[in-house]
Amino acid sequence: MNTQEQTWVGRSIRRKEDHRLLIGDGRYVADMTLPRMLIAAFVRSPHANARIIHIDASRALTMAGITEVKTGKDLEHLGPVLSDLSIPRLPGETKRPVFWPLPVNEVTYVGDLVAVVIGRDKYVVEDAVHAVAVEYDVREAVLDPEIALLPDSPRVYSDWDDNVVYHQHFSGGDIEQAFASADLVVSQRFRSARSGASPMEPRASIAEYSAAEGLTVWLTTQRSHIKRHLLAEYFKIPDSKIRVIAPKDVGGGFGVKAPLYREDIVLCHLSMCLKRPVKWVENRQENLVNIGQERDQIHDIELALRKDGKILGIRDRMVADCGSAQVPIYVSFSMPWLGAMYLTNGYDIPNIDIDLYCVVTHKPGLTPSRSFGSFTCRFAIDRIVDIAARRLKIDPVEIRRKNAIKKYPHTLATGVHCDSGDFPGALDKACHAIDYERFRKEQQAARGEGRYLGIGFSLGIEFSGLSSQILVPMERQPGFGVATVRFDANGNVQVAHGDQPQGQGHDTTIAQVVADELGLTPDDIYVISGDTQSAPFAAGTLASRMGGYTLSAAVLAARGLRPKLAAIAAHHLGISAGEDEFVFRDGEVMLAADPTQRVAVARIAETAMLAPTELPPGMDGGLENTAHFEADTTGMHSTNVHVVTVEVFPNTGDCQILRYIAVDDCGRPVNPTMVRGQIHGGVALGIGNACQEEFVYDEAGNPLVTTLTDYLMVSARDLPHIEVINHDNPSPHTPLGTKGKGEGPTGMVPGALGNAIEDALSPFGVTIAELPMTKERIWTLIDEASR
Amino acid sequence: MKREIGITINGERIEAFVEHRLLLVDFIREVAGATGTHVGCGFEGRCGACTVLVDGAACKSCLMFAVQAEGTDITTIEGLARGDTLHPLQQAFTDRHGLQCGYCTPGFLITLYDYLKDPECDASAEGIREAIGGVLCRCTGYVHIIEAAQQAIEVLAQMDGAERAKWFPK
Repeated sequence: MNTQEQTWVGRSIRRKEDHRLLIGDGRYVADMTLPRMLIAAFVRSPHANARIIHIDASRALTMAGITEVKTGKDLEHLGPVLSDLSIPRLPGETKRPVFWPLPVNEVTYVGDLVAVVIGRDKYVVEDAVHAVAVEYDVREAVLDPEIALLPDSPRVYSDWDDNVVYHQHFSGGDIEQAFASADLVVSQRFRSARSGASPMEPRASIAEYSAAEGLTVWLTTQRSHIKRHLLAEYFKIPDSKIRVIAPKDVGGGFGVKAPLYREDIVLCHLSMCLKRPVKWVENRQENLVNIGQERDQIHDIELALRKDGKILGIRDRMVADCGSAQVPIYVSFSMPWLGAMYLTNGYDIPNIDIDLYCVVTHKPGLTPSRSFGSFTCRFAIDRIVDIAARRLKIDPVEIRRKNAIKKYPHTLATGVHCDSGDFPGALDKACHAIDYERFRKEQQAARGEGRYLGIGFSLGIEFSGLSSQILVPMERQPGFGVATVRFDANGNVQVAHGDQPQGQGHDTTIAQVVADELGLTPDDIYVISGDTQSAPFAAGTLASRMGGYTLSAAVLAARGLRPKLAAIAAHHLGISAGEDEFVFRDGEVMLAADPTQRVAVARIAETAMLAPTELPPGMDGGLENTAHFEADTTGMHSTNVHVVTVEVFPNTGDCQILRYIAVDDCGRPVNPTMVRGQIHGGVALGIGNACQEEFVYDEAGNPLVTTLTDYLMVSARDLPHIEVINHDNPSPHTPLGTKGKGEGPTGMVPGALGNAIEDALSPFGVTIAELPMTKERIWTLIDEASR
Repeated sequence: MKREIGITINGERIEAFVEHRLLLVDFIREVAGATGTHVGCGFEGRCGACTVLVDGAACKSCLMFAVQAEGTDITTIEGLARGDTLHPLQQAFTDRHGLQCGYCTPGFLITLYDYLKDPECDASAEGIREAIGGVLCRCTGYVHIIEAAQQAIEVLAQMDGAERAKWFPK
């Protein structure tokens, strides 16, 4: 085995992406203009539940440059959107909502599509949207998921016999025995309002059609190949006649840009009908009332414990409000399903009974948001553990030590496989960093002064990609990572991979690992992705899969070229030596025993690409290799512990975060500063969702949050400094020990913060059980407890 | 209603016959073609991705009509570097990983340019948090943006007055 000297992995080099973005030279979909391009905008429903009686577009069509107004009836012939390919195939009972690219008869939430207007000028198109007169028969909306579950509730989909889009009962171990032998059973109801990720760049798409090339679609997407495949299936044309391009610059995704959306289908259809490029750029109001909404869950949890704090079992009746569920690929229930799969998370709880109901209502369908289905589950599990600790008079750290997963590999009762980690070590680091003993003394002293300080811990696992065993049943998609490493004739290396980024910096980290494998520098390497015409097929960027899966594929693809590089080098040197006798360093392939015997990689590449006649006899020309990486396990996870201290002000309900510390496992960080960036961003999103961001609906289903100002998206003013401490446990399943990072930090936040706030307010005896923990909610809890 | 207007953008005077209701940000992006300035919220002025310098002062260009900017001198993200040399602020953003997806980056660079123009600006994290409170980022959690601002403040403080002034021509 060649002992390759690692020179780039582990270094916080500057990102390759930065320069173009810093000089304003990024290229996002909204920046693009094509010849003869038309602009589309959507008429959207002002009602949560209504029948469309009549649409009158005559006035809109008189406006300057307005060429078309299309309604659901016009697109009805295309057929319903969901197919076997675009609905999760999970165990349990699933119903399929039948809906079209534009609703044909009924709208199912405020903001639902009604018609599309196409014209030349975006300002006039916007005017025309408002000039389309729609007559509705407004009906009562079903908004409360628990009322929607009652047998006499009106139905969101009239042909269903109830409002349950998905039901699954998870069981493991012997739950009856666990509860029968318990010294204590703690019960608590937890819930979260809707909140989510909302990237700074709203959605945008441009579709262009030509008879020769077919359809080309530029999309703000996390998964161009999957969308191409689904669009091809929907329009009944071959994949080869569709090209989906996620441009190099997409302004944040966080899961929100993972589904196929109805607007994408409408744009493609329009471009094929009109034979002209059509562009749509979502405005922020449309964005906030349609997508980025997740977290909407209710948990009724019972936890069975021994009096020494050992958790014996958990029961949960979980209800997720999936809204209209008109979200291809996810159908709004795969998030709560995965949340339930991960409910017990970093805790070793062998006996489980989880009854999951995913319910449709007259709200927008849930869309994935960073922490995919787990945000509220994580809040519930980390909170119930603290509630139990208080009842048992056990320290919250001790109860975590007792119940955290300790032996690896470990399989959760739901079947989730955990490969490696170290919770006890991470808890030690967290306690040390926050100076736990001292904080308790300060807390005590502060109470004497009428000040309320609190501390809260959370612990949890973060998936490092999802293996095919999970992703195939979930979405009929592969878990593998893929990369093609291909030399240019001058010795530069192109890496093409299947996971286009939305700001994560994949170009940089891939260049770092490939540079090390081939003895080059990151400057020698350039990375392409996002275009189905040139990037290899993979599921796209999701579930923190870059660090575990795609980076590993790039490593293996590069590593796979070394025998050929070595053979050509040996041939040039006129010696007989195998790969393991060479080292790859400083742009050269050199004999380990005698480094004066060396050949430049550039010369090897030049030979292989331009002068195959000079290759060793029988060797094919070219210098290119593709590797698919699938970890030899059903799950790779990192283990993380967060701790936060707060001061709560009972007179106002304000909560000030004093310190926030993330003890984080990234396996083996390729670029430590970028890993910290992922943690900072994930925690910030978690604090926003946990404390102030909320999509509020009134009793008629009207969104009361239609601007960023209403949504209270967290700013720098709202956030504390976020400290990161590394506690890396390399994965045994990846060639470099890397694990993914990105999805996980967000879900760590609500439990830690909820625990800290409740701890601060322990003199009042309040229970923190609802998200977001706004100052109004906290003040109300204190007020009620004080009466 | 339309009107002929001229606006100087990064040193180039752009003249166009525009609707009165055309937003300044659309003039910058679509008429002048300077797409480095972004739109994250549209018309509420909350996200700050459209922030530009109008006659040297940071303004959210989605909250102005282009006709209101007639005759002004505007600097956008494209106008910060000097040739191939990045502005100390831009350099700090890459050194300290102050950007991820880059969508909000024009807003932070221009807002901080305005803030750093004052050599006496508050270099504490709290001061910078207050200064950038009008720009939203969903990727970074702001930590590295604040560190980048502090690095730029430090680098600029080490320059003599004339050299420093070169980086703040507006």
